[in-house]
Amino acid sequence: MSAAVFARQDSKLEADDLRDVLPHRPPFLLLDRVTHLEPGVYAAGIRNVSVAEPWFAGHFPDSFVLPGVLVIESLAQLAGVVLAAPDAIGARGSRGYLASVRAFKFVQPVRPGDQLLLEAHAGASVNGITDFTVSARAGEHVVATGRIAIAHAEQGEQGEEET
Amino acid sequence: MLTVIDSDAGAARVREAAAERRRLVERVKQLLVDRLDTCVEAAMIADDESLFGRGLELDSIDTLELVVAVHEEFGVEVTDDNTEALLSVNHLTDHIAAKRGEPA
Repeated sequence: MSAAVFARQDSKLEADDLRDVLPHRPPFLLLDRVTHLEPGVYAAGIRNVSVAEPWFAGHFPDSFVLPGVLVIESLAQLAGVVLAAPDAIGARGSRGYLASVRAFKFVQPVRPGDQLLLEAHAGASVNGITDFTVSARAGEHVVATGRIAIAHAEQGEQGEEET
Repeated sequence: MLTVIDSDAGAARVREAAAERRRLVERVKQLLVDRLDTCVEAAMIADDESLFGRGLELDSIDTLELVVAVHEEFGVEVTDDNTEALLSVNHLTDHIAAKRGEPA
């Protein structure tokens, strides 16, 4: 985790910066840009959905729909950025793991060409697990809302599924 | 009981405080049942039953959900500094009662 990308004043992170913040790599780095970041508290980000993404080969052969679990994944990665910032709860060197998914609604399908506007608000945090209220919009339309919990384990520690 | 004159009023206050505490305990138990997948009825939960391990067998993710629920229901926060509040229904009730009694 590089502290340098957080030292900049504009609270924005490009995809190149995200490589330093998240362990994910394409095609599973599912966050293109962080447009606003308050470490430990909140982040907003963008994901541009492209028909070139590999899962569209099978989901579905006759109609392209982004799997809802991959919307959750984008939101979990954004929540990971909130916790990865140096002065956030999940201090430097910790890695986030998706620990729980609750109360999710997928209001309408996401298709190639949509730009997802993602938001993650950190809530309660106890015993190394932080609650997030998250949402995704495509333009004016809310496409998904729900809650996730991220467990922040030290690197090398055993954890659940990686975010 | 200090004096015969005060005893009725004093006993009434004690009874009222006990009833208030009882109501809070029942609300906490109902919250556990409503918000967590405990698969038990509120009446089956003992006041001093451990919420974790043997007892209700809640896990760390349930803990977080309980903390969120307590904040929504009672406006009271539980943090890493006072996780002893999560040991039992009695502990949690004490914590909620103490925090609600504090001046805002």
